[in-house]
Amino acid sequence: MSKDVFSPKERLLRVLNKQEVERQPVICPGGMMNSAIVDIMNKTGHVLPEAHHTPELMSALARDVNEYTGFENFGVPFCMTVEAEVLGSDINFGTLRCEPKIQKEAFDAVSQVEFKPLGSMEKSSRVGSVVQSIYMLSRKYPDIPAIGSITGPLSTAASIVDPMPFLKQLRKDKENAHKVIDYVTDHLLEYAQLMIDNGASVISIADPTATGEILGPKMFEEYAVKYLNKLVDGIHSMGVPAIIHICGKMEAVKPLVAQLHGDALSVDAFVNLKNIKENYNDVTTMGNLSTIMLEQSDTESIRKRAEMLIHDNINILAPACGLSTTTPLENISAFTETVKLQ
Amino acid sequence: MKENTMDVKCCMYKQNRLYEKLKNAVIDMDEEEAGKTAEEIVSSGADIPKAVEYGLVGGMDVVAKYYDEETYFIPEVLMCADAMYAGMAPLKKAMPVSAETGQHVIVIGSVFGDTHDIGKNIVALFLEGSGFKVINLGRDVAPEVFVDAAEKYNADIIVISTLMTTTMWGMKDVIEMLKVRGLRDRVKVMVGGKPLSLNFAKKIGADGYSHDAKAAVALAKKLIYEDYSLQK
Repeated sequence: MSKDVFSPKERLLRVLNKQEVERQPVICPGGMMNSAIVDIMNKTGHVLPEAHHTPELMSALARDVNEYTGFENFGVPFCMTVEAEVLGSDINFGTLRCEPKIQKEAFDAVSQVEFKPLGSMEKSSRVGSVVQSIYMLSRKYPDIPAIGSITGPLSTAASIVDPMPFLKQLRKDKENAHKVIDYVTDHLLEYAQLMIDNGASVISIADPTATGEILGPKMFEEYAVKYLNKLVDGIHSMGVPAIIHICGKMEAVKPLVAQLHGDALSVDAFVNLKNIKENYNDVTTMGNLSTIMLEQSDTESIRKRAEMLIHDNINILAPACGLSTTTPLENISAFTETVKLQ
Repeated sequence: MKENTMDVKCCMYKQNRLYEKLKNAVIDMDEEEAGKTAEEIVSSGADIPKAVEYGLVGGMDVVAKYYDEETYFIPEVLMCADAMYAGMAPLKKAMPVSAETGQHVIVIGSVFGDTHDIGKNIVALFLEGSGFKVINLGRDVAPEVFVDAAEKYNADIIVISTLMTTTMWGMKDVIEMLKVRGLRDRVKVMVGGKPLSLNFAKKIGADGYSHDAKAAVALAKKLIYEDYSLQK
C-alpha cells in the first residue's frame, strides 16, 4: 500500500478545506449514496431493513461497509426517507435488497402542508438511531470521518408533498412553495445540528429533485440554489463542511453551480468533472465513477476508469450516484484499491 | 352561391382561429383559457377531432419541442398538460363515437417496488399528446396489474419505467407474465428510465428502449406502425 501521511479524516477535511494532501480520498457518503450492498450484509449478518432502526445495527453495518469496501468514511443513514418521515409521510422500509422509499406523501399541495414545530427531528426515534450511530462511530474510530447524509430541501419537500403537484406549484403557488421549502430547510438544519453535535465531521446533501434537468435554470436558481445555500451556510456556522450532490445532466445549470456554497460538488457519471474543474477553478470536485459500471462491469475496466479520474485530478473519488445493492464487492474494492495504490 | 362560399370561408377562418387559440392556451400553460376555448369550439359546432388534432396535439407538439430544446422544463410541461386536459374535457364529451375507436392504446406504469414517476408521467403526457389513448397505472405497479390492464383495454403497448437499479429487473416479470397469459404476441413492451440501457432492454426481452420522452413517442409509433422489435 502507499505511504499515507494523513488519516482518512484529516485527508477528507483538508481536501474540503482546499489544502494539499498526499493523495485523493475515496468515499461514499451514505444516504442516497448508500453502499450497504447485499454481498456485505450476507457476510456479516448486519442487515437491512432492520439496521435502519437501531443505532447498534446501523453502526455495525456502517463499519462493515467501511471495512469491506475500503471507502474511507462512515456514511449514515442508508436511505433518504428519515426527514420526510419526521415531517409526516408514510415510509416503506423496503427489504435487504431494496432501499426504503416514500410510500405516500403526506400532502397533495404546498398550500395544505401542516407545519410541525421545530424540535420534531429530535423527538424522532429514527433520527435518534442515526445520531446515536454517528456518536458511537465517531467515538470509537476517531480517524475515520463520520458523514451525516441529509436529503436536500427540494427533495424533502417533494417527499412530503406529492411531487407532481409540487413541481407545478413551484410556478403556480410560489408563495406557499417558498414557505414549505424554507420550513423544510429549518428542520434539516436541526437534523444537521444533531448530527454535528454527536460527532459528524462532514454533512453530505443529496438533492435529486433539485436538478437542472427537472427544474431548468430559472427555478434551479430560485429554489435549489437559494435553499441549498441556506442549508450549507447554516452547516458552516456549526463549523462543519458540506458536500452537495447534484443529480442528472448539468448543461442547463452549469453556470449556477459556481453559486453553490458547498465545499465539494458531487455529480452524476455523465457529467464531465474535468470540464467543470477547468471552468470553475474554485469548485472542489467529487465523483464520479458510474454506478452502472460498478454493478455490471469488470474490475479491470473499473480500475482504468478510476485511474482516469485520478489523472484528471478529481479532488474526491466517489461513486457517481446511488449504488445498486447488488453491486459486486470485488468491483467496489477494485475502485477503492486503485485510489489507495496511487 | 357566392355568398355561401364566403360564409364557409369565414366560418373556417373562425374555426382555425379557435384551434390556434386552443393550441396557444396549451403552449402558454393557460388552463382557464384552454377550457373556455374548447367550450367555444364545441358550441360553434366546429370539427371536434380537428380541434383535438390542431389545438391539443398541435399544442403538445410544440411543448415537446420546447422541452427537447430545454426552453421548457418539467414544471412547465406539467402545466401545459393541465391546460391540455382542461381543453380535452369538453371536447371529449362532444367527440363523435367513431373518432375514438381505432385509437391505439398504451398502458404505462412505474415498475413494482418503485414509487418514482415524474419521468414516466412526462412520457405518458407526450404519448397522450401525440394521439394515443394512454392508461396510466401510476407507480409501484405489480406485474399482474400491467398484464390485466393490457388485456382489459386491448393495449398495443405496455410501457414500463424505473429510476432504481434495484427494481429494474422487475420489468422482466411483466414480460414473463405476458408470455404465461398468452398475450406476448399481441402486446409490445417498451422500457425506459435512468439506469436502463438498450442492452438491458434486449436482455430482458423487451421490444424497445428509449432514453427520453421524445424518443419514447417515436419508438411507440415505430412499434405499432412498423412492427419494430429489439427481439427480431
